[in-house]
Amino acid sequence: MNTLHFFKPELLWLMPIAGLPFISHGIKQFKFPGLEDWPIDKTSQYLRWGLRGLASLTIACLIIASAAPFTEGGTTSRVGEGAEIVVVLDRSGSMSEGIKGRDYNRQSAEAGESSNHFLSKIEAARQVLLKFMQQRPADTFGMVAFNASSISVAPLSSDRALAEAALLSAQSQSTGFTALGRALALALDYFEGRPYTATRLILLVSDGDAIIEGEDQAILKQEFIRQRAQLMWIYVRGEREMSILDSVIAGDNEIETQADIAYAATKQSASMHEVFQQLGMPYQAFEVESEEGLQTAIKAISQATNKPTRYELRLPRKDYGVYFYMLTMLLLTTLIFIKRLEIKVWKP
Amino acid sequence: MTKNALIHYRILWKPTGNQPGAKRGSSAGIGDQLRALVLLRDHPDPRRTDLRASMRDPFEQIWVRDFNLNASLKVIVLADASASMGYQGTVNRLAVTEDITSQLALSAYRSGDAFGFYAANSEMINKLTLPTRINRSAWLWVKQHLSTLEPSGNNADGLLKVSSLLPKQRCLVFVISDFRWTKDKTAKLFKALNHHDVVPIVLQDPSEIDQIPNRGIATLQDMETGRTQFVWMRPALKTQIAKARIEHIKTLQDTSRIYGYKPFLVKGKFKPESLTQYFMDRSV
Repeated sequence: MNTLHFFKPELLWLMPIAGLPFISHGIKQFKFPGLEDWPIDKTSQYLRWGLRGLASLTIACLIIASAAPFTEGGTTSRVGEGAEIVVVLDRSGSMSEGIKGRDYNRQSAEAGESSNHFLSKIEAARQVLLKFMQQRPADTFGMVAFNASSISVAPLSSDRALAEAALLSAQSQSTGFTALGRALALALDYFEGRPYTATRLILLVSDGDAIIEGEDQAILKQEFIRQRAQLMWIYVRGEREMSILDSVIAGDNEIETQADIAYAATKQSASMHEVFQQLGMPYQAFEVESEEGLQTAIKAISQATNKPTRYELRLPRKDYGVYFYMLTMLLLTTLIFIKRLEIKVWKP
Repeated sequence: MTKNALIHYRILWKPTGNQPGAKRGSSAGIGDQLRALVLLRDHPDPRRTDLRASMRDPFEQIWVRDFNLNASLKVIVLADASASMGYQGTVNRLAVTEDITSQLALSAYRSGDAFGFYAANSEMINKLTLPTRINRSAWLWVKQHLSTLEPSGNNADGLLKVSSLLPKQRCLVFVISDFRWTKDKTAKLFKALNHHDVVPIVLQDPSEIDQIPNRGIATLQDMETGRTQFVWMRPALKTQIAKARIEHIKTLQDTSRIYGYKPFLVKGKFKPESLTQYFMDRSV
């Protein structure tokens, strides 16, 4: 697995240059009238071959270093803690309606006379999600809010304050159209380029009134599988709305007339619930009618995402060029030192 | 060159030949050493009449002094021209050879002696041959020609061939070399030159004996064989080298002694006085 590779293997063809010191070792040469009675000096002989070897090794090292040797890092399996959660919060007009059981006394609540009675769907979702965030410090949060178009409110990062502020600032506003498909696409885009180290979860908080067209369905499905993201839908249900489990177009408070239903039916043959079920990734839906129900849903989500994620981490390749360069430097220093010992003039 | 002292070589033998010169010769002639008293009848030269001998003779014969001729000598220089003679250390070995040879040539002329020169590496170098005769410009010829010599070859075996070209009579022969030969080769050359008076002039350079680096690394290349030697100079090795040089000279001296010669060492620059001194020491 850890075989040595070279980034520029063609440079290894220069290796015969390393033999040059055996032809000429570059030490200054003096003429001498006769060496026939020169003392037999073993030390000098060893030094001569040692020096040639050293010079040869230096060149070889330099060539190897410039060929940039490396070994592939391989992969290790790691266990990821926590989850990456992108909250996709529906801030369409319908989210300002009271949650089931607390949709009375709106006027007095707005007048400030009663604080306990009225609670809009978005407020309830906000409070519970904030608590959820605070309970899970290991997770990374990102947030997308959407109504007619999706807004990248907080990117997926460990900056918790940003995500919390983004959540708090989410107010519902009616614009007559809900861009669920695009919001999901944007949420999925958050995962783009990030290593898969933890459970990826898209937490869709919506009261469901959107259409995802056939083409977009295919793209979303493909993206979900590619990013390996789970989807959880917290369906905040109002008093008058239908259950997602049996409606054709889930709880659509803006699709009321028969014409609207017919239009929706031509665009999307099944309910959103069914569409999501066919994504090929784990999908869960929680139908929430009250604040308590929302909390139970969140609890279920925590359990689902608490599972450690086993993932393969691709290690960076290991570069050995630097070691060879260092060795070359060391050898060169030695050679420079030896060169300094060279006799320049043949006299004492 | 004239500012340098002449070399006064002295010999302990009488040169043969009838050419007048500065050395005591062996034949009769005009000289300063009394050879014999002869009758005027035999040697009709009344200027040399020995009055005292003539007066004492009861037979009243006239006696005339006869002298040994002051004869000239033949000085011949044999130079080694192998590659090692081109060594440039503290001094240029070839320049030293040139100094010695030209000074000898000049000294020979001034003494009225003949001078000859031969150089050889593995073969005799014909271009560098000067026949033995009294030659006034020999020292200039030597200067001119030796400076153009490029020493080459890895032996000086040509000197053996030169020995047969030398005059039959006894000469004073200088062999200038670094004598980096084997003992056998030296002996062979000395044997071939044995009927001459040979002065081996050994050229040494301080750079190969004691003026060598104390420490450091270098490569040495043998000028004759081309063999390279990596050396790590250190005091221990230096002592060994100095010892090897002493051993070399000792071997040369031993070999020379067998043939009755005594090597003359030139360490570094050549001083004519030291060669004169050598001849004085040798004569004792």
